[in-house]
Amino acid sequence: MNQLLQALINGVMLGGFYAIMVLGFSIIWGVMGVINLAHGEIVMLGAYGAWILQENLGMDPIFSVVVIFPVMMVFGYLVQRILINRVIERPHMIALLVTFGFSIVISNVVKLSYSGTPRSVESSLRGYWDLGGVTVPKTKTGILIAALIVMLVLHLFLKHSRLGKSIRAASQNREAARIVGIEIGRVYAITFAIAIGITALAGAMISPTQAVYPFMGAPLTLRAFTITALSGLGSIPGALFGGLAVGVIEVMLATFVPRVGTNVGIVSSFVLLVIVLVLRPQGLFGGLKPRSPQ
Amino acid sequence: MSRHLILDNPGVRRAGLFLTALAVVVLAILPVFVVERGQEGFVTNSLLFNFTQMFMMIAMAASWNLTGGFTGYVDFGHAVWFGIGAYGTGVFMTKVGLSFPVATAGGVVVSVVAALLIGSATLRLRGPYFSIAMLATFVATREIIRIAKPLTDGGEGMTLPPYLNRPLFFYVTLILAVLVVAMTWWLRRTQFGATLIAIREDEIGADMRGINTTLHKITVFAISAAITGLVGGLWAYQNTFIDPDIVFIERRTLDIIIATILGGLGTVAGPVIGSVVFYWLRDLVWSHFLHYHLIVTGGLLIALVLWVPEGIVGSLSDRSGATPLSRLLHRNREEQSEDDLIETAGGSDPDGTES
Repeated sequence: MNQLLQALINGVMLGGFYAIMVLGFSIIWGVMGVINLAHGEIVMLGAYGAWILQENLGMDPIFSVVVIFPVMMVFGYLVQRILINRVIERPHMIALLVTFGFSIVISNVVKLSYSGTPRSVESSLRGYWDLGGVTVPKTKTGILIAALIVMLVLHLFLKHSRLGKSIRAASQNREAARIVGIEIGRVYAITFAIAIGITALAGAMISPTQAVYPFMGAPLTLRAFTITALSGLGSIPGALFGGLAVGVIEVMLATFVPRVGTNVGIVSSFVLLVIVLVLRPQGLFGGLKPRSPQ
Repeated sequence: MSRHLILDNPGVRRAGLFLTALAVVVLAILPVFVVERGQEGFVTNSLLFNFTQMFMMIAMAASWNLTGGFTGYVDFGHAVWFGIGAYGTGVFMTKVGLSFPVATAGGVVVSVVAALLIGSATLRLRGPYFSIAMLATFVATREIIRIAKPLTDGGEGMTLPPYLNRPLFFYVTLILAVLVVAMTWWLRRTQFGATLIAIREDEIGADMRGINTTLHKITVFAISAAITGLVGGLWAYQNTFIDPDIVFIERRTLDIIIATILGGLGTVAGPVIGSVVFYWLRDLVWSHFLHYHLIVTGGLLIALVLWVPEGIVGSLSDRSGATPLSRLLHRNREEQSEDDLIETAGGSDPDGTES
């Protein structure tokens, strides 16, 4: 019983990270129709940002997100203007190949600059709360709470701010948004910047709990894709529940299926992905898109 | 649009064909002049090895082109068949004790069976969904190989009986490359090939005209997997050591895709020209800036796709009229309908045209 409860807690904690990690991917796909295969590499950049700030300035990752978020937003803005903007209106394969190439460039630039050695980041928020038989890791609880806060803020932003409304309009009908005077290019660039900022923030927050290395991104991209396909594009509750579901499933399998360990995580995501895509390709939650009028 | 470009000239095409045949003949007698290590001479064993790798790349690029270029199903995990072929061969040789030819045939059979199973699920997906499902297949298979320790020795890898005969591998891969390219040439001229193009350009239309699109897709997918699985088996025996990380390496898929796009997606000559250019270009980059080579490769992919998506052959000929590739490369998103993603993708329509 304790083992089951512990696995559930660990799964929810992992799911909290997945939820915040997947948000940016989901928004970019939902708003501009680009599947960003360099998504995991952005998480990796965020984690490296936390490591660099700690090595050089002794900064705690809890505080370094304040630096990483705006810096990565600028990065995201530039990437959108230089690279992504060229592929938005072109076939999906072009966007896939370009972001695939970009992911290879990023991870290898990082490897060249900081070598492939796995790095670890220390956080002041560490250790466990012992709740009679089960333990709750403090760092991951922090991530889960941060994920919920980010989602709430993002939800309010999209729902009520003028810019947020423009973003939703642009995702629903690009032409009509253009006609009513929304500057689509600017909206896309800002959306991309926000998404990249959140993604890097997720990377910085997860950095104390796992090894940071240049090629940590690819499995994360795949999970982001699985969760987004599962939950609907650009859907905030979808990202939360999809992330939690995938986190819990992975931890349950790793705990109760003997001799497979954590490697089974990516396999279960894949199986889940195929099942979901074949059975329910529109996702389980609506998302940014209006539901089909039927 | 009647551009008249250099490769449209029948004389140029004949000359190209003649030069290719000449190159094959020259290559075929090359191993006769091989010199031993330490001796002076141009034809070294390492040159033969390089050519062997290049022939493997040609065969894999040509087979990737069958699904990615002809049928329009861009496979981001194609190296999975290479890995399954390599591991199939390895397991049959070391665990079952079969001889190399039989073991390789077994590896090919395993690849084909896996392709039929996986393809019948993933080929129902369209566009990016298929691409990423294949990428996930690739990553998942690597982990499965790692987990299946009793069969594959997991992360420790397996050692095959060593067999160092460079000229033999050279000839086998040369013949394989020639046969595969000849087969794609022939296939392109059959009704089967024309059907693949029809699926690429308008799958729903092809379906409505009574073509069993699923059957065609799965067949071509299995052919493609068989070829790449065979290459994997040969590679495993040549390398004598396999482990999940050197066999299932993302870079291999990347190389195949770049070679094909560089040469010309959906053309018969494209994968050949692309592989030759890319292989030696990469070798050059490798020897001068080893550490930068993947950055250069990724940058090359971005530049190619953004500026010359038709590749060398596609840019130099107007045969694009016969095989327009419009759904993959050119057509504006606005003109693409949601059927491009997936028939039932209510929520994944990029333009919201349904509303």
